[in-house]
Amino acid sequence: MAYKYCVAECWGKGFITHDDSSKFQVSGFPGNVWQIPANSQDANLWVNKVAGSWKTKAEAQAIVDVEVTAAQAAWDALPEEQKQQPFNRQRPTAIVLE
Amino acid sequence: MTTYYGLYGQKVQYLASDPTDVQIGQVWYNSTSATLKVRQEVTVNAWATGGNLNNARSGVGSAGTQTAAIGVGGFTNDYSKKVESYNGTSWSNLTDFTSPIGRTGLAVLGSEPATLAWSGGDGVTYPNAVFLYNGTSWTTGTNMPIGRSVATGSGTQTSALSAGGYNDDGQPGQLNTCFFYNGSWTSTGNLNTARSNLAGSSGGTQTAALVFGGQPPTTATESFNGTSWTSVNSLNTGRQQLAGAGTQTTALAFGGSPPATGATELWNGTSWTSNPTGLNTARGIPGTQAGTQTAALSASSNYPGSATEEWNTVLTLNKTVTVS
Repeated sequence: MAYKYCVAECWGKGFITHDDSSKFQVSGFPGNVWQIPANSQDANLWVNKVAGSWKTKAEAQAIVDVEVTAAQAAWDALPEEQKQQPFNRQRPTAIVLE
Repeated sequence: MTTYYGLYGQKVQYLASDPTDVQIGQVWYNSTSATLKVRQEVTVNAWATGGNLNNARSGVGSAGTQTAAIGVGGFTNDYSKKVESYNGTSWSNLTDFTSPIGRTGLAVLGSEPATLAWSGGDGVTYPNAVFLYNGTSWTTGTNMPIGRSVATGSGTQTSALSAGGYNDDGQPGQLNTCFFYNGSWTSTGNLNTARSNLAGSSGGTQTAALVFGGQPPTTATESFNGTSWTSVNSLNTGRQQLAGAGTQTTALAFGGSPPATGATELWNGTSWTSNPTGLNTARGIPGTQAGTQTAALSASSNYPGSATEEWNTVLTLNKTVTVS
């Protein structure tokens, strides 16, 4: 499936509704990057609703990379004993947008 | 040729725009969009965004219902003591829970005014402390016999079940031990598969519970009858740090890692079915979560964040059939 990307800040309730989710899949990534199907009129209308700023895939990937790199640095800075704790998330891994 | 008129004795309405006050089963043709439409009640399972947490963090344990929930602890740059309540629209700050050190990945049961929390990690030890909330303030309960982090549970503040968890300080690491809490702790039947970061039917009871998934990543599902655990049909997607809601016979599994996933599955008492769509933001979710199989809440993030998602099952939609 082909995708498009935008950046929009999630304001909470009503940002993505059940009606939105029933019509198309919205997938969120670090940096307020949102992935939607490329050929969905409903998804285009949703981007308008949330005042999304369209990004190319390369631009969206760059935003995600910055956020993941920062999260990895924060994880690396944790004391070694804390990294081993099972309740801590794994070291954030790179995300490759489809 | 069979016609609509022949079947129902009336013609399909030919309209320039969709009519208002449409009845279930009503059929019309929209000449502007060139679509044949029918008003149909369709059952859909989907996630939507809820109100954002006031204090962004990961590993928030929650309990209660989708419209009356409590979120306890978590992790941002340190282990959090923050507590918030959710009313179905927005989060409000409550009294921090009483502890020298915050906790993440807490098992939390009960309701917003009657909450039980235990087994969260504090980065230093495997805590056995128990925290009780009465709607106003926090007190401590009787300590667990064996401390642990990232266990799960089922039941209420006064009648709870604790299952699994992690402790490698004189213990084997992944734990299979289970306990009843009724003001004090007593041991009960062990899990067949020792694990932590598992999820459970948080809305179940002390003597009728389901646990699933866990660390190391597993699909294993077990059912508890008040005395012993029985292995039952497995999750479709193996994972740890997942969340659960519902009961022993109507449970919901969602989220998890690694890698972070939004996968959502429904348990009908016999087997798991994968929902076509998952959480809008994939995430590992250590700590119990609130709600039922038809109205659940995800109040935690993979990265420290404020995102909340609400799961619901029934919507009424217009089904559109495009004609050539």
